[in-house]
Amino acid sequence: MKWPSFHRSKGDNKIESKNLLGALATLRSNMIKIEIVNGPITPFPSNDDRNQDGAELVFNGRVRDTEHGKQITAIEYEQYEGMAQAELSKLAEETCRKFPIHDLFCQHRMGKVGIGETSLHVSIWSKHRKEAIEAMDWFIFELKKRVPIWKWAILPDGTKVPSECAH
Amino acid sequence: MISLCLCDSVVNIMKIKIKCFSQVKYALGENEIKLDLENGSTTYDLEKLIREKANGQLDDVSLRVAVNQQYVKDESELKDGDEVAFIPPVQGG
Repeated sequence: MKWPSFHRSKGDNKIESKNLLGALATLRSNMIKIEIVNGPITPFPSNDDRNQDGAELVFNGRVRDTEHGKQITAIEYEQYEGMAQAELSKLAEETCRKFPIHDLFCQHRMGKVGIGETSLHVSIWSKHRKEAIEAMDWFIFELKKRVPIWKWAILPDGTKVPSECAH
Repeated sequence: MISLCLCDSVVNIMKIKIKCFSQVKYALGENEIKLDLENGSTTYDLEKLIREKANGQLDDVSLRVAVNQQYVKDESELKDGDEVAFIPPVQGG
């Protein structure tokens, strides 16, 4: 398998859609991959052929069993369909411009996600660890500020309420 | 989905679709609202209306505005067919 080029090529932009519930956008020739998925997350594969990348940083956000000290049984994610994908793609592009990283792949899950399951999966590749760590922190910080995705807490009695979590 | 008409005349009206999420959806009990508004109405007018409809449930909620899936920072005049979302604090991740 030939791994994508590390060089940004503006002429290679393309967008693919998987289905109505999830979309896959591949921008700048495999440099950025954004997937909003309705089922379990399939981690992006690691790859031993990235000879220029000294850092491969992976973040998995998982669902906790409590919110504000209250027991919950799951989180249900809601998105503004279309805008969430667009904002996430824009954010990924901004991250790649702001930090000297090579590739950024992100998957965000929608719908009901059980305790302990992964809701957000991000992989960043870069020459050194520092820029990957800084880029990861900024990307997730900004995601939580501007991408129109929300959480509903599922309580033990089955009721669903907007999550109070702002982290 | 509910429909409301907030104008006296059918001559100078525009049709607006409001998408509701999270606390807005919870407060209004709707995923989507269709409204007839007077021409010249703005995002500010619509937000005021939505907050009134929520009977105080959105008083402590800061809302950003998106028109046709783009954030808008300032008050802006709406056009016939616009899709508007009042975006409560987001919580992805």
